Amino acid sequence: MLPLGILALQGDFREHGYTLDAIGVESRQVRTISDLESVAGLIIPGGESTVIAKLARAYDLLEPIREKIANGFPAFGTCAGLILLADEILDGIEGQESFGGLDVSVRRNAFGNQLDSFEAELDFVGIPGEPVKAAFIRAPIVERVGSDVEVLSALPDGRIVAVQNEHVLGLSFHPEVTGETRIHQHFVSMVKRSN
Amino acid sequence: MMQMGADGVFVGSGIFKSGNPAERAKAIVKATTFYNDPDVLAQVSRGLGEAMVGINVTDLPAPHRLAERGW
Repeated sequence: MLPLGILALQGDFREHGYTLDAIGVESRQVRTISDLESVAGLIIPGGESTVIAKLARAYDLLEPIREKIANGFPAFGTCAGLILLADEILDGIEGQESFGGLDVSVRRNAFGNQLDSFEAELDFVGIPGEPVKAAFIRAPIVERVGSDVEVLSALPDGRIVAVQNEHVLGLSFHPEVTGETRIHQHFVSMVKRSN
Repeated sequence: MMQMGADGVFVGSGIFKSGNPAERAKAIVKATTFYNDPDVLAQVSRGLGEAMVGINVTDLPAPHRLAERGW
């Protein structure tokens, strides 16, 4: 398998790299079209969704990534990455762009500001055993889910925090900062299946 | 800073007090993203006009020195 790509324009791309290192999966930071052409799937990290979108636009990556995902290229977004994979963004800035790929509506900053960040343990479809350790940092939430999208995890009050379709996986939270490796492992199997 | 592991770079007056703030801001943003690409770094470092000129501490009146006034 080609290495997994991690979009490295802004945000916690290093932490995703460390998580893939921990499970023995080779990764490559993606900043250019040629980087993008040499990876088997793309992780879109946490960070600031408007900044990542603007930089992707400025460095000619926005359309190519959008097109690849629309054609079945596997993608996995955490936090800002989820926003960037959503077909619809709520509470975005004016004209905010996304890569899309997941038929969901995602609200930015849905829990409030930085001080409202928190950690939680979650049940997660397909991950048996210990609950998933999740860090919600100025996190978004999924408010609408399309018919081809499966809900993988929700908070006890029912708010949806993890979704996927055939080849795109999105989380409200950061598994990459809590030592949680099983969701990355899950994405690796999605990538292997699609190749 | 990025090569040493920083998550990002904050620049304030270094941009706004330079000769061409818009070009310098663009260059700093691009250099931060492509911090490990010497070709990009060389390219964006050209033609930026004058850099911000600092103020010598001995030229500052004592009441304006942060270390003494505390904030």
